[in-house]
Amino acid sequence: MAIRGRASRLGSRTPQPGPRVTVGRVVLSMVLILGAVVCLMPFLYMLSTSLKTTGETITRVSPIPVDPRFWPRVPQWINFATAWSDASFSLYFRNSVITAALIVIGVIASSSLAAYAFAKIRFAGSRFLFALLLATLIIPDSVYLIPNFILITRLGWYDTLAGLTVPFMASAFYIFLLRQFFSQVPNELLESARMDGAGHTRAFFSILLPLSSAPLFTVAFLAFVGSWNSLQWPLVATRTAHWRPITVGLTTFISEAGPQNELRMAGAVLSVVPVVFVYFLAQKRFTEAIARSGIKG
Amino acid sequence: MTQDRSATRRKPGQRGPSARFLRDTLTAYAYLSPSALLIGVFGIFPLFFTIYVSLFKWRLARGDFAGLDNYVRLLGGNPWYLAATLASVGGIVLAVILFRRRGTRRPLWRALAVVVLAGSLLGLGLSLPSLASQGDKDVFDSLRVTIWYSLCTVPVQLAAGLVLALLLTRRMRGRQAFRVIYLIPYITPTVATAAIFELLFSLRPDSFANQLAGLLGMGPFQWLQESRGIGVLAFGAAPQWAGVVPAYWAGWAQGPSLALASVIIYSWWVFVGYYALIYINGLGAIPRQLYEAAEVDGAGRVRSFFSITIPLLSPTTYFLSLLGVIGTFKAFTQLYVLRSAAASGTVDAVSVSIFFTAFRKSNMGYASAISILLFLTVLGLTVLQRRTSETRVHYGD
Repeated sequence: MAIRGRASRLGSRTPQPGPRVTVGRVVLSMVLILGAVVCLMPFLYMLSTSLKTTGETITRVSPIPVDPRFWPRVPQWINFATAWSDASFSLYFRNSVITAALIVIGVIASSSLAAYAFAKIRFAGSRFLFALLLATLIIPDSVYLIPNFILITRLGWYDTLAGLTVPFMASAFYIFLLRQFFSQVPNELLESARMDGAGHTRAFFSILLPLSSAPLFTVAFLAFVGSWNSLQWPLVATRTAHWRPITVGLTTFISEAGPQNELRMAGAVLSVVPVVFVYFLAQKRFTEAIARSGIKG
Repeated sequence: MTQDRSATRRKPGQRGPSARFLRDTLTAYAYLSPSALLIGVFGIFPLFFTIYVSLFKWRLARGDFAGLDNYVRLLGGNPWYLAATLASVGGIVLAVILFRRRGTRRPLWRALAVVVLAGSLLGLGLSLPSLASQGDKDVFDSLRVTIWYSLCTVPVQLAAGLVLALLLTRRMRGRQAFRVIYLIPYITPTVATAAIFELLFSLRPDSFANQLAGLLGMGPFQWLQESRGIGVLAFGAAPQWAGVVPAYWAGWAQGPSLALASVIIYSWWVFVGYYALIYINGLGAIPRQLYEAAEVDGAGRVRSFFSITIPLLSPTTYFLSLLGVIGTFKAFTQLYVLRSAAASGTVDAVSVSIFFTAFRKSNMGYASAISILLFLTVLGLTVLQRRTSETRVHYGD
C-alpha cells in the first residue's frame, strides 16, 4: 500500500491528462470537501434551528449533524408562517425587489453609456474625467452618509423610493468594469457601422450592446446583490415600513425576536432561500460573473 | 492604443482639433451626462459638503458656525502632537519609498532608510499616545478596531484564497460544484448570515462555537459578548511592563477583543471563497508555456510557484488587497448586526461609530469631522499601498 502510494505520488508529478486516483488527489478532495462543509454548515444549523421549538433551541443542540440533537424532534414548519407574518416579510420582499430592479436598470443605462464614451470615443478631457472617476472609488461610504442624508431630506426624498434608488443609479466601479470590456471590442467592428453614416448611437446600440451581454449581466448581478444586501443607507433613509427593504426588516425582526432563536433563523431562511435559488438556477453564469468582476486593465 | 489615440487626435499639418473631434467630444459628454450628474451630486459634492458640515454645530439642522471645534474635540487641542504624528507617518512613507527604489542596493541608502524608518517608528510610538490621550478616546478606540479588523482579515483572506484557488484549478471531478458552494457565503445576504453567526457564537456553554472549542479542550468562552482582548485571554492579564510602555500601546498589545475575533472569523467565512474565485481568474491568465519553460530549465514546483505564479498574480493581489482594505474600512452590516452591549464598543469600527454619532446621538457636525478623518486615513493607506507595490506589481506585459 505504502509503495503504491509513493509510486503514484511520483507519477502525479509529471503532467498526466485525465483524472486518476492517487493519494494526492484523495487528500485534495478531502481538503475541498472539508472546505465545503465549513461553507455549508452554518446554513444547515440555520435550517435545523428554524424547525425547532424554543425549548429545543436551548436544550437540544449539537454542532454535529450526525448527532440527532442537531435536528428537531418534530419539524415546526409553523415557524416560517409565524416569521413571515410577524415581520411583514411580503411587504419587505416587494420593496427590496422594486428597489433592486430600479437600481439595476439605472446602473445599466448610465454606466454602459459612460463606459462607451470612455472606451470608444476620443474626446477632450477624457483622461482627466476618467482619473477623477477612479479617484471617487476610494471614498468610504461613511463619508457619503451624512451629506446624502441631508441632501435627500432637502429634496423631499426622505422615506421615499427615490431616496433609496436614485443615489445608486450610477457607479464609478461599474463604469470602470464595463470600460475594460468595451475596450476589448475591436474598433473595426464599430467603425464599419459608423462608416455607413450611422453615428455612435447606432454603433453603441446595434453592435456593442449585443456583443456585451456577459459583462452587462455581471454588472446587473453585482448591482442587484449590492442593493439586496445594503443595510446602512436604508436604515438612514427610511422611517416607516412603506419602502423599507428586507435587510432592515430582518435586522429589526432579529433584534426584537427576544429568546426565540427559531423565529430568527426562520426569518434568515426566508431571506436566504430566494437568493440561493436564483444563484443555483444560473450558477455557472454567476460564478463567471463574479470572477470577471476582478478583471483590471 | 493610447498612443494611437493621441496620434490621430490631430492630423499632421492641421491646426486645432478637427470637426469630428469636436463633434465626438459633444457626443461623449452627452453619453457621460447621466452618470456625471448622479456621481457629481451624490458622489463628489458630498465630500465637500461633509467638510462644510464638519465646521458647524450641526444637530438635526445647521446650528452655529463652530470653526475647527469639532476637530479639536476629535484630535485634542495641541497641534504639536498632531504635527508630530503626521511627520512620523510621513517618515514611514519616505522610508518605504527609499527601500523600494531601484538601485538602492548601496549600503549607504539602505542605512539611511533604516535610520528614517527607526526614527519615524519611535516618533509614532511617542506621539500617537499623546494625540490619543488629548483627543476623543472613543474615536481612537474605534480606529483601532478598524485597523485590527483590516489587519486580521485581508492578509488571511489573500493567503487562504490563493491556496484554495490553486487547489480548485487542479483537474478533478466536481470542480464547478466546489466553486459554486464556496461562493454561497459571499452571495447570501449579510444580515442573514451574520444572524446565523450570532447564534453560532452565542455565549451559552452548549452553543455551536463552545461545543467545538470543548472538543479541543478549551472554553467555554463568551465569544461575541467578550470585550477582553484575545492576547489577555491567551496569556493572562496585562503584563508588568504595562507601566513602562504608554497605556495606549498596552491597549494594542491586548489584541482584538474575542468579540471582534468572532467577527473576523465570520469575515473569513464570507470572503475566502470570493478571493479564491478572483485568483482562479488571475491564474487562468498565466501562460502555460512559462511553466513548461521553467520545467525544462529544471525548476521544481516550489521554484516556479515563487518565480512565476506569485509575480504574475501580483496585479490580482494588489486589486484584492486594495479592495479588501477599502472594504474593511467601510464594513458596516456585519458589525452592526454582531455588535452587542456586552462587547462594550470593541466591535464598533469607525464606520459604526460615525453612524451612531450622526443618527443616534444626532451630532452630524462631529460625525462629519470623524468621517473626514476616516477618509484621510483611507487615502493615506491607499497611497502607501501604491508606493509599496509599485515596483513589485508585475503587469505581465
